[in-house]
Parts: sequence; C-alpha cells; structure tokens
Amino acid sequence: MDLVDLIEEKRFLGQEFLAWLWFKSEERGGSIELPERGDILVAFEKHMLLEYGEGPESEKLICRGLQTELREARTGLTLGKKPEQARVKVGSGDYEFSITLTAATMEFRSVRLPKTAGAGDGDGDDPESFEGQVLERISLFEEGIELVNELFRLFISIRTSGDWSDELVKLRAWIYTSADQLAR
Amino acid sequence: MGLLSGTASFTRFMVEGEVPEDFWDFVARRVAEHSFQDIDDTIDEYSIGWVSVADMFDSDFAFSSYAAGDYVILSMRIDERKVSSAVLKKFTAKEEARIRQEQEVQRLSRNVRLEIKERIRAELVRKSPPIPAVYDLCWNLSSNTLLFFSNSRKAIALLEDLFKETFELSLIMQIPWNTALQLTDQATAEKLGDLQPALLI
Repeated sequence: MDLVDLIEEKRFLGQEFLAWLWFKSEERGGSIELPERGDILVAFEKHMLLEYGEGPESEKLICRGLQTELREARTGLTLGKKPEQARVKVGSGDYEFSITLTAATMEFRSVRLPKTAGAGDGDGDDPESFEGQVLERISLFEEGIELVNELFRLFISIRTSGDWSDELVKLRAWIYTSADQLAR
Repeated sequence: MGLLSGTASFTRFMVEGEVPEDFWDFVARRVAEHSFQDIDDTIDEYSIGWVSVADMFDSDFAFSSYAAGDYVILSMRIDERKVSSAVLKKFTAKEEARIRQEQEVQRLSRNVRLEIKERIRAELVRKSPPIPAVYDLCWNLSSNTLLFFSNSRKAIALLEDLFKETFELSLIMQIPWNTALQLTDQATAEKLGDLQPALLI
C-alpha cells in the first residue's frame, strides 16, 4: 500500500491515540505512569483541531484560547468528532516540552524545548561551541520524541491487548462526564 | 525556525538502505556533488542543493561541517525565480495591446497570444531575483532516523528526491502506523493489522 493510502486508512490510530492521551492525562490529574519511567507530565493546552467524517464531507472544529477548558472540543467528542491535532505539554524530570501533535502523520509542530543552562541561539563564536549547541538542541528534540514514543508505545500495547475493551468503556465514560460537567 | 533556534516544526523519517563502510568519505563526496549552486548571476530558473545549517551561503562547507557527533546536519536550499500570475497577466496584456496597435488589427490569433505570453514570462523570469527557501535536517546515524524541519508536503517531496539522489538511500515517513511497527515487538505488530477504528461514543 502506498504512503498516501496508508495515511488515510490508518489515521484512526493517531486520532485514537490523541483521544486516549487526553483521557489518560485527566484520569490522574495531568500525569501518566510509564512502565519504565514512572510518572510523566501530560497536559492538553489551548489548541485542538477535531474532525468528523472523511474527504469533502468532513467537518472541522478548531478550538483555541489561553487557559481554556477546551469546552467545545469536549462537546465535539460526544458528537463523534475525533482529535486531529492537539497542543500537548509533556515533561519528565526537569524537562518540559510543548508540542502540537498531528494525528494522521504524527508530525511535530511548533515544538518548544525546555530551557537549559547552555541554551543559546545556535551561533557560537567557534566551531566547537556551535557543534555543542547543535548537539544539545538535537538531544532535546530526541528526548521530546522519546517521551511521545513511549506514550504511543503504551497506547499501542493497550490497544492491541484484551485490556482495550475496558479502557474504551472508561474513555467513553470520561468523554460524557467531562462534557456534562462543563455543560452545567 | 528550525534546528538551530526558536520553536521548531519537523517531520520524522526512517532512513532505509545500506551505508558504505567509508561512510564519511562517501558523505563528503556526495554532498559536494549535490551542493547548492548559486543562480543569482545566471538566468537559470531553479536550483536545489545542500548548504551548511549555519550559513545558507556556505555550500563548500568551508566554515562549518555537516558532521556533528554521530549526526549529519544539512540544509536543503532551493532558489527559484517566480513570476506572479497577476504580473504576467498585466505585462502580457500590455504587450498584446502594443502589437495590435502596431499591426493595426482588432484581434490577435491564439498562437500569437501564446507566443507573446511565453516570451513575456521568460523576460520577467530573467528579471526577477531568485527567492530562497532553506530547510534543515538532522540525520541520526546510530538510529537511522532523520528529522526534517518542515511539514510542507512540497518540501518533503523535494527532500525525498534530493536525499535519494545524493545518498542512494530512501526516506520512510514515520506516520503512526510505521511508528507502531517500529516501537512494538513481533507479537504486537502482528495484531496491529487486524485493528479497526473504535467508536469513542
């Protein structure tokens, strides 16, 4: 199957991952326990794009705003819309990343790296300090990717196991409860 | 905004294929062969090639290397002379009016109009300065993964071609399906094929 067809046919994996990640982060008040790493911070913030349907008949819903509860997005989930893009804060130890994740292609957009002691703008005076700055930024990018990969690995292991049906029941209950609470 | 500073947007790839044993010599040779060629002083319409991530004018890599630890870091630079359709339309209409007046005719044939349009386009292209676009990439040699600092479909397609041409290696975009296959064991990967979309409500 070529890539374009594969993206279209398997986009549900990314969409379900984002929905599950949102539910999972709120289940324990903003953190998810990873098997080998322990608790990591996962918080959804200020930007989400939801989609319903496919092709020309698809509907899109964009939700944005500082300090937002993503009220419309939560209601959107109850109407069968699925998250296509979400701004997520993930963190482990002293590091905190903000990443806009896309569901269909798993691109990383507008990635904000954690501040570090040696952070600079990448224009060091000599080749060695330049290389040091580049390597530091690369290692931070890779740390952020690794965190997302570990979350995705956890999702895939649940999604392909017998635990998924229980997880789905809890996820659906969370969708209705969180939309209900905001409607009051 | 990309590899060096500020917030960054990127697309992830796996690099597929065997690299030669004299890897760094191979890279040196191939990057030099496919380095960016300036078209500022020519009438060429388009140029694509590699430059240093530190300096888009450094295509000889004289001041900064493409090697950083266990990574290859490069920028893909594209210079293109473009003419907006509104500008082309305006100058073509002006030239058509001039010729109609000169030949004292009401209408020009379709062929003549096409010739005028093509001639005007070539003239305008020659006069317009090349517009540059630069995209960074970082190739992790130990994991054979590559970050390309753009989400543009057009730029990604150009990268895939230039990378293949330069290194004879293919880039496989890491969409959720591929990533899932990469991250999981054989037993889990086999179950992935049977998954159907879930109803979340």
